[in-house]
Parts: sequence; C-alpha cells; structure tokens
Amino acid sequence: MTRQLIQTVALGLLAGGVYALMASGLTLIFGVMNIVNVAQGAFLILSALFTYELWTRLGLDPILSIAVTTPAMFLLGWVVYRLFVARIRHAPASMSVLLTFALAITLEGAMGLVWKNVYRSVTPRYFASSFQAGSLFFPRAQVFAFLTAIVVLAILYVLLTRTWTGRAIRASSANPQGAQLVGVSIGSVAAMTFAVGVATAGAGGSLLSILYTFFPASHYQWISRLLGIVVLGGMGSLPGAVIGALMLGVAETVTATYISIRWAVVVFYLVILVVLLIRPQGLMGVRLREDVAL
Amino acid sequence: MSAGRVNGLLRWALLLAALAVLVAFPLARKEDAYHQTVLFLIFLFAVMSGGWNIISGFTGYVSLGQSAFLGIGAYTVALVALQVHVSPLFLVPLGGLAAAASAAVLGAVVMRTRGHSFVIITIAFLFLMQTVALNWRSVTHGSNGITLPLPRWNSDLGNMPFYYVMLGLMVLSVALSAWIRRTKFGMGLIAIREDEDKAAVIGVRTSVYKVLAFVASAVLIGVAGGVYGYFLTFIDPRGMFDILMSVQIVLAALLGGRGTIWGPVLGAFLLVPMNEITNNYFGTSPGERLFVFGLLLGAVVLFLPRGVIPTIRGWIDRFREAKRPAPTPRPSASAAPRTAGPGAAPDLEEGAPLLEIDGLIKRFGGVVAVDQCSLFVRRGSITGLIGPNGSGKTTLFNLVSGMSRADRGTVRLDSRSIDRAPAWHRAYLGIGRTFQITRLFKQMSVLENVVAPLGRFAWAQLGADAVSGPEARRAQELLDFVGMLPLADQPAGQLSFGQQKLVELAQVLMLEPQLILLDEPAGGINPALIQRITDLIRELNQQGVTFVVVEHNMPLVLSLCDPILVLARGRCIAQGSAETIQGDRAVLDAYLGEGWSRVEERLEV
Repeated sequence: MTRQLIQTVALGLLAGGVYALMASGLTLIFGVMNIVNVAQGAFLILSALFTYELWTRLGLDPILSIAVTTPAMFLLGWVVYRLFVARIRHAPASMSVLLTFALAITLEGAMGLVWKNVYRSVTPRYFASSFQAGSLFFPRAQVFAFLTAIVVLAILYVLLTRTWTGRAIRASSANPQGAQLVGVSIGSVAAMTFAVGVATAGAGGSLLSILYTFFPASHYQWISRLLGIVVLGGMGSLPGAVIGALMLGVAETVTATYISIRWAVVVFYLVILVVLLIRPQGLMGVRLREDVAL
Repeated sequence: MSAGRVNGLLRWALLLAALAVLVAFPLARKEDAYHQTVLFLIFLFAVMSGGWNIISGFTGYVSLGQSAFLGIGAYTVALVALQVHVSPLFLVPLGGLAAAASAAVLGAVVMRTRGHSFVIITIAFLFLMQTVALNWRSVTHGSNGITLPLPRWNSDLGNMPFYYVMLGLMVLSVALSAWIRRTKFGMGLIAIREDEDKAAVIGVRTSVYKVLAFVASAVLIGVAGGVYGYFLTFIDPRGMFDILMSVQIVLAALLGGRGTIWGPVLGAFLLVPMNEITNNYFGTSPGERLFVFGLLLGAVVLFLPRGVIPTIRGWIDRFREAKRPAPTPRPSASAAPRTAGPGAAPDLEEGAPLLEIDGLIKRFGGVVAVDQCSLFVRRGSITGLIGPNGSGKTTLFNLVSGMSRADRGTVRLDSRSIDRAPAWHRAYLGIGRTFQITRLFKQMSVLENVVAPLGRFAWAQLGADAVSGPEARRAQELLDFVGMLPLADQPAGQLSFGQQKLVELAQVLMLEPQLILLDEPAGGINPALIQRITDLIRELNQQGVTFVVVEHNMPLVLSLCDPILVLARGRCIAQGSAETIQGDRAVLDAYLGEGWSRVEERLEV
C-alpha cells in the first residue's frame, strides 16, 4: 500500500521534472511578452517528430538528439516571431492568443500532412528496462529524461542569470519601459525570448518522444497540461512553473493509479479552473498595480 | 421623407427580399439537397458566431470554447429524446436551456477573471466537457456516441424542417444581437469591452452584465446544437466538443466583423462555402483542413483584424469625413443643471464629514503605496489633495472609488463603511470620479459616453433603449452645461484632451453624485479650459456637491480648495487652509527634500 504510494509519487516527480522543462518556455514567453503561446504544445510534438526521424533514419539516440532539435527549434521560433508574432506585439490579448492558436492548428495540419495521423513513439534500447531500488522500479527512460530535463533547466537558469541577454530578458519581463530606458531593445529581446521558449519545446519534445506515444493532434493534450502547470505556478514565473510541474506530475499519476487513467487529464482542467478562480496570480505570481503600466 | 428614413426603408426591403429568397429556396429547388445542406450549415454558423459575438465581440471576452454549448445542447436533446417519444425537433428548447444553465454556472465563477485567464478557461471547459462525454459511458456511451432515430416526417420533405428551423434560429440570433446592441444592457457590454474598471466606476454592475452576456451567447447555440445533432442523427464527443468548430466560429465572426450585428452572418456566408471548397479541392483529410483554417485564421488576425464590415464602413466614413467640415465647439452659457445628490438632503448639516478614511493600507508587492492613511472630507467642501509624485493620491482615489481593494483600513461614506461595496455600488451611493488620463469609451460617441453611467441597478432598465427618454435629455443638458453639446455625436476618441476632461466631468455628473473625486482636472489642458473647469466646480459646489481635487497646479489649488490635505509616502501629513499649508515644515520637507526648509524664506509658492 505505502509502497505503491511511494512508487506513484516517485513516478509523478519524474514526469513533473520533464513537464517543468516543457512549461518553462510557455511561462518565459508569457512573462516577457504577455502572450499565451498556445502553439507551445504543437512545437513539442513537432520536435518529437523530428526526434523520431533522426532516430529512425540515422539511429540517433533521442536524448542526444536534443543537441540537434533545440537549435533547430530555436531557429524556427526566431523565424516565427519575426514573421508573425512581432506584428501583434501591441495588439490586445485576445488577438495575440488567436494568432498563436492559428499557429498551433496550422502546425497540426502541416504535421498531419507530412507524418499522417499515426501514433508514434521512439523506443531506444533502454526504453523498456528499469532501475530497481528495493521494491521500487524506476523506468530508465523516465530517469534519463528527468535528469536531462534538470540539466537543460539548469542551463536555461544560468543563461537567464549569468549572461547579458538573459538579464535583458528578465529585465524586460519585470519592467519593459525601464528596460528600454537602460538600452535594452525590447524587440530583439522579445525575438530572443520567443526563440528560447520554442527551443525549450525542442528539448522537451525530444524527451516526450521516448516517454509517450504521440501524433499531431496530441498537442491539445499537451498544451492543456502546460497551461495547467503555468497557471498553477503563476503565469510568467519560472520557479512557479517548476513547482507547478512537480505538483501536477504527482497529482496526475496519483489520479491515474487510484482513480482511472482516463480521468487523469481532468486534473489539469480542474486545476486551471480552480486556480484562476481562487488565486489568479498562481502560487508564485505577484499582483502589481496596473494603472501605471502601459 | 428624409434621406435617413429612405435608407432605413431600403434596408428593410433588402432584408425582407433576402429572407424571402432563403425561404423560397428549398421550395424552388426541392431536389438540390446539397445546396440546402450548405445553407443549413451557413445558418448554423451564423447562429454560433452570432452567439460568440455577444460575449467576445460586444463584451470583449474571447471564448475559444463556444462549441462546448453546441455539444451540451446536442447531448441534452439526444438524451431526452431517447427517453420520451417526441420528435427531437420539439425538444430543442431544452438544449438551449441546458446551454444557458451551464453558461450561467461557468460564467458566475469564471467572470472574476480577465483577458488571458478567460480564454484559457474556455479552452479548458471545452476539453473538460469532451473528456466527461468520453468517460461518462453509462450516460453518453463514450466514444461510441449516440444514434438518434431517423426523422419520421414524409421523406418528400427531406431536410426542409431542419432548414427552416435553423433559418428561424438565425433570424432570432440576429434579432437578439440587434436588440442587445440597442439597449442599456448592450451599451454596458461595450463599456466593459472598452474599459472594464471605468465601466464599474460609472455604475455598470459588471459581474451581472458579463454573466448575462455569456448566457445570451450560449442559449441559441444550445438550441442549434439540438437541431444539428438530430440533423446528423449521430453525436459523439469528438464531433460535438470539437475545437475546430470553435475555431470556425471565431473565424466567421472575425471575418465578417466582430462587434457588428451582421458580421457573423456575413462571416458564415463566407466561411461555409470556403469550407466546402476546401473539402472538394483539397480532400477531407483533417490535416489539410486544419492547415487551411489555421492559415486563414492567422491571416485574418494579422491583416483583417477588424473584419470585412467595419473595414468597409471605415472607408465609407473616411470618404464622408473628407466632404464635411468638422464642427467646432462653442462655449455655452446655459445655467447649471440640477444636481441631485447632495442635496438631496438639505437638512444635513454642512461641514459634517462625508468621507472618512481610517488607517488605510495598500501594498503593491514590496511598495507600500498607501500607508496608514487617515483623513476626512467635509460635506460641501472643495478639498484639495496634494503631494509629491508617488505619494499615493491616485491609489487613494482607486481605493475610495472601489477600483482596487485596500489591504487594511476602512473607508466610510456618510459614516457607513463601504469597504465591501464593489465599484458600481459606490457609484450608486454617489461617489463619482474622473481620471488623470481621461478614460472615456473611445469608440462611443460623446453623447453615448454621458448616457452610459447608471445611478442604480434594475433588471428592467437593462432592456431599455440605450439613448432615450429622460436620461438622453439629461445627458444633453449636462453636455450643454460643460459646453460640449456641439460635439455630442463625435466619437469620444477624437476630442482633444481638455475636451475629454469636460466630457468626463459631464459623465460623472450623470450619476448625480454627492462626492466627486477629480484627478488632476487641470493637468495638460489650456488655461481657458482650466478657467471653465474651475467655474464649473464652484457652481456645482454651491449646489451642494462635495469635491476632492488632486492637482499639481498650485495657484489653482490654493485659490479653489479649502481645506487642503497633504499626502506624502502614502500618509496624510498635514491639513488646513492654504496659508497653514504653505508654512508647514513637514510639507516643505516632503515636497522639496529635507534641508530645504532652512532656506524656506526664499520659497515662493
């Protein structure tokens, strides 16, 4: 009984670590640009499909392929920003969310055309084996993915805190006008942020490919998860996203184990509803006065 | 007959002709099942986009989950139809009822959120409904779906009953939108879209308005869902709670023009044929359709954000504008209109505290904007509120008018605590305010802006014509009083800053307030208008209106206000007459920095 609970929570935390990486891009983009990138789920699936191609054609290990997918998605994010997102930077919230939504379904459609609506997954050798610690089992794929996610998140953290660009990104998130005054070009920072945000979906998608089966329309399920996490953690807060991801990872596996796997996804929808109603700023978000901000 | 009347008649004639064509079509082309179906789908999308337009076009809350109400309606009707042996077509009102009820419940809890949160919740709601329909197998049969009996009417009729019911729903939907747009309810919705906080401050009970708008946007979609489900004779969770359906709803409304009455109809007439073309030329694989609709939605958002109708209307207006000289305002010499309020009670002793603030604290993150502030404002006074930038004056106004909530402390009006009262209720109690940067509803005309405030809430008034009756007359009086009547029909956004300040004052007077908070009435406007505004303030004050004036123009404050309160670092540090304040050491320190008082003899105010 207890063993099962510990096992469940441990698996939840492993999943949560990967969720944290996936959600970091969403929260980063929201924090700096005040745009909910609904296409983040579609970027994840796209990267998973890239990973699938690299693995089936070149035999590249899915975790190592992060070195390819991350820069590729960074580039894609940058292009998408310059071509589309930059145009609605100053439009009302409703228009920006419609644009990213349009992006999501265009990507879904394109993926459906190229890869067809077939379930896939990437199955490297360690796919089906587990580490064993006492009576607990830890699937190797989950452990590797978790560790990789932590490493990528750490790199992201260092980028944000130790580099000029990172500081510019955080400054623009905290106070756009102030950042502009001290010489930060908001436009290029926004492009950089969007690209970095999509790049995290690159890494996240590669990990997704070994942990879950996926097909183009899976992105709805993923964006729902990510929105739940980001809303719980506080929109725009990176630490919040990590905490929210771990909590929801556990909540999801507990629901799947003790209630039914079919209801597990409902956890995220309910969290979105309840959090936005009771504490709209989430766990780590702060409310600021709005009347002076432009 | 005037040109306007001819235009109106012509429009009605055109509408009736178009309707007659649609009514006659199935009778004339009995065998043409394909085009009947296309038209049926056009009507369906017109109904759905029309509903979406009420909550998202009029009210400004974008819903991406509107197709959930289609599913709710379809499932309700199908489930009831399996129990009772009545044609599902007679049960469709139940679908509307179910959709309206779920919108009311969701709306009541969701409407506390704004902007991004609302969009996210509507997506979550749609997927939640789909998951429930998939998993609650004992009732919904899960992914197997529900099969409805085939229609029992004479097969010669074909799909005609569906066609006419949906056509009727479309007419109803347009009528509902047109009616809402004309009423005070509709004007309140537009006010919420333009500036929700401001709407609340002028007495629009925003929470009720928003829930009603959400219900109105759902009800006909629910009815249509019942019809649509029976038309398909098969419903399943993926088809009924379909995000792609939501996308098309949004797309049609955006294409035609959101916030307009005919936009959704025009959008449906554009979208459904495009849908058919895509199906015929690109095949029906979901990938292709998604790709095309995704691109289309993106293109509309980027290049045609206002939609076809408003864009064309914009061209026409610009063409007319070029031919007509702009009206110039002329000062008016009319007497001040009666103001209610205060007066309201002449027996009330002048000089008793009207507004009392006690130990008020407001924090923003680590900044304490208002810190243990206590002060009072006497009835009948023109109280000045001065203080350096950042001393908390505007925050204090926000707390008094209910735009934000204090962390601690009490605000009393007429010795009654109003801490728990929402902004609109404070407006009903007689608190009016203007803003440092004017916050008029820029898309509305000047007259509409002044008519918009509501001094009380009543269900009956929601349905009243927006600009009509005593309110319209009074608004014209007030506009005349501030000298802006000649500009009554101009969009408020086109006025100069000073003119906007005057209109905002007239807007506040509409509430017949007993207390008016003026935030920098003279800031950024020319001296002639400043004189006009101070004259108005004095005139209103003589009729009993109490004023609190935040202002940086010291000569103005010193001549107009008595007493004057001084705020620094969120606290009231001094109060008294102009002379007292000018000599007060703490005030000089606060304004000029400590140490300045040593050379205070050189100070000239």
